[in-house]
Amino acid sequence: MFRIERDRARFREIVRGKLRQDLRKYLSSTELIGRRGDKAVSIPIPQVELPRFRFGDNSKRGVGQGDGDGGPPGDGEASEGEGAGGAGDQEGRHILEVDVDLADLAEMLGDELELPDIQPRGDRLLSSEGGRYSGIRQAGPRSLRHFRRTFRNALKRTVASGEWDSADPRVVPQGDDERFRWRRTCPRPESSAVIFHIMDVSGSMGREQKDVVRIKAFWIDTWLRSQYQNLEVVYVVHDAVAKVVDQQTFFHLRESGGTKISSAYELCLDLIRERYRPEEWNIYPFHYSDGDNWSARDTERCVGILRDEVLPRVNQFCYGQVKSAYGSGQFKKDLDSSLADEERLVTASVDDREGIPDAVRAFLGSGR
Amino acid sequence: MRPNGGLTGELGDLSVAIEGVARDAGLDFFDVVFELLDAGDVNAIASYGGFPVRYPSWRFGMEYERLEKGYRFGLSKIYELVINNDPTYAYLVRSNSLMEQKLVMAHVFGHADFFKHNVWFRPTERQMVDVMASHGTRMRRYVDAFGQDCVERFLDLALSLDTLIDPYLPVRGLRAGLGDTEREDHLSRARRSFDVACSSPVARGTAAAEPGGAGAGDAATFDLLGFLAERADLEEWQRDVLRMVRAEAYYFAPQRMTKIMNEGWASFWHSRILTRGVLGVEEIVDFADCHSGATATVPGQLNPYKLGIDLFRYAEEKGMDLFHLRAVHNDVSFIDAVIDEEFAERSRLFVYDRNSRTGRTETVRRDWRETKDELLRSLSWGGLPRIELADPDHFGRGELLLRHHFDGRELQLDQAGTLLKQLASLWGRAVHLLTREADGGRRLTAEDGEVRIVEVPGGGGEAGDGPEGLRAG
Repeated sequence: MFRIERDRARFREIVRGKLRQDLRKYLSSTELIGRRGDKAVSIPIPQVELPRFRFGDNSKRGVGQGDGDGGPPGDGEASEGEGAGGAGDQEGRHILEVDVDLADLAEMLGDELELPDIQPRGDRLLSSEGGRYSGIRQAGPRSLRHFRRTFRNALKRTVASGEWDSADPRVVPQGDDERFRWRRTCPRPESSAVIFHIMDVSGSMGREQKDVVRIKAFWIDTWLRSQYQNLEVVYVVHDAVAKVVDQQTFFHLRESGGTKISSAYELCLDLIRERYRPEEWNIYPFHYSDGDNWSARDTERCVGILRDEVLPRVNQFCYGQVKSAYGSGQFKKDLDSSLADEERLVTASVDDREGIPDAVRAFLGSGR
Repeated sequence: MRPNGGLTGELGDLSVAIEGVARDAGLDFFDVVFELLDAGDVNAIASYGGFPVRYPSWRFGMEYERLEKGYRFGLSKIYELVINNDPTYAYLVRSNSLMEQKLVMAHVFGHADFFKHNVWFRPTERQMVDVMASHGTRMRRYVDAFGQDCVERFLDLALSLDTLIDPYLPVRGLRAGLGDTEREDHLSRARRSFDVACSSPVARGTAAAEPGGAGAGDAATFDLLGFLAERADLEEWQRDVLRMVRAEAYYFAPQRMTKIMNEGWASFWHSRILTRGVLGVEEIVDFADCHSGATATVPGQLNPYKLGIDLFRYAEEKGMDLFHLRAVHNDVSFIDAVIDEEFAERSRLFVYDRNSRTGRTETVRRDWRETKDELLRSLSWGGLPRIELADPDHFGRGELLLRHHFDGRELQLDQAGTLLKQLASLWGRAVHLLTREADGGRRLTAEDGEVRIVEVPGGGGEAGDGPEGLRAG
């Protein structure tokens, strides 16, 4: 519904303090409480409550029905029935994973970090999407008759043919007067994107480092999701060998062992060649590591793969280096010096959680 | 076009079949038009109070935000939405199961019958869909002419005042022989809705108020909104905004006054209609689950569906004429007529209160008389504070005196003060409010952007209903 989206947009602007500053002082937050299993989940709902004549604190008294002696019954004014004659809301039994609105988050993130919207490369798949009843035709089903247009035509014809009688202003539409709404579809380019989250899970990556990666990956996902209708995420972990894993494993896996980064880059390249061809996909690999590679030879190999194979195929390749007690941080230096003139390579280092926003801005700030 | 027009296929056939069963059972309603919509669209329409087209306001956006989030996170969903209008519009949510659609349809026919026959709905506008759309057009025109912020600010104030009407006023008009809508033919109804859209609905209101008034020149009224619309020194567009808000408030008021009856009646009939051959055997258990979900009591909270259906079933058992009951009562008089000791005992009614020492809410009483009294008190005047414009020419200086009819429940004084201030700036002169706190009367005076609160010895508003005590003041 178009209209309600405008009212909602206005409400949000008021909540953010961009409009109607006079309402700020009435802004409060209520919450919707849901249950998942025996865990309560709360979703904050901002609310602007203007002053009214309402009952105050001493009117919590009321009448209940049932046993009513177990526990605090919550506040129970005889439920206030505003609006429609019985908008019977009833609790559903669905599962709840998140307590924040991702679209909101993405928008806030975009605002906060001043991220540019991404310009997708070329026009990809064309899909006809949506469509609105904005067209007018002379034939159509009765249910779509455009009443006003029809009668306007009838009125014009009546006047033009001299049948108009102001004492008896009767207008009867005839065949040619009829107008009907028609659905216009507008083809829109559809864009698809794939994210590769590649994480070093070797022994040197501790719990805190993985948390930083996790948070960063979450924000990047959130932003890219808001930019693409169709987003796939591939999770890759590597130590000395690389493998594709699911999300759960990606964030919780504890591994130990050596580090051979090239294994991950090779796997990524294979996937791009086989499944995510650049003609159809916007491709975003993100690699997180503490920067401690097994050998200088392997690092050379990584640089080669990136320069010759990966970078030409992707929108942007991001390397995020997380500081750890064991890592030397050499890998970022190597990348920066060998691939200094590659526009599509972005590197950033993150010391701790505070540094995450800067890294996200570095990765996404170019709008590629 | 067939009634039930919006539906096709299986749902269309179902609606015809259920309508048949409903009519055979004695229900009578205007044509009911069902529309099948996605949950998102139903949420949008519900945010507009049930109307697809209304004037723009962030308040609807706020409501939408709440409904939409509740739905998206699976916390709540709207089953049904039905609009008091001729034809009666009802929305079905596409994602509901067939059993749920049957339940909703049967429920809707119950509401539709109630809308048509209950005396409190008799004077309501039956072309409200058109009127709302017209209000929307006018409001948008004002926004174009005077700017969104300006119109919105005034609208916000008007909406803060929208409970300050006299819900009994339209029915008094009926008694005086006005507005016998039933015999009107279609044309005159259409013309009337045109008149409503173009002229002042308040004119009708005040004319109807005359016989009820206490005497010539005495303008004490609960219809503060109507008073302001006619008497305040306003721009023409502002006057129109007040009139629109007032017309909508009068349209919605009966729904607040009959919530328990209306839901009870609809639930009574959906369970009866569905269990008479409409449901397949394989649907009975799902239906029972869904029905008991709707009529479940959260500990301590009053569920209008539950109390309402209990009342109607009890009344039926006692041999009362249900169709008569649903025609002549509102929640208060209905409960007064039906609840007796046996009922209170059986449905385990009780009074709860907040323990001021522990801050916890607890059950305080189960005596049926006290419980009934408490219930009636909480529902009277639509559950809202009862505030009267006691003197429109206070001190002979054209100041307004409002009086809160105190029934034991205090007002939120800070909010009342702020609103009073806004009211004074709209009226252009001082505005006073008499109310009470636990320890005695209070007089709030808003003047020149300030609010003063003074204690009034002897109490401002007594519990009594007669406005006499006050006139002297």
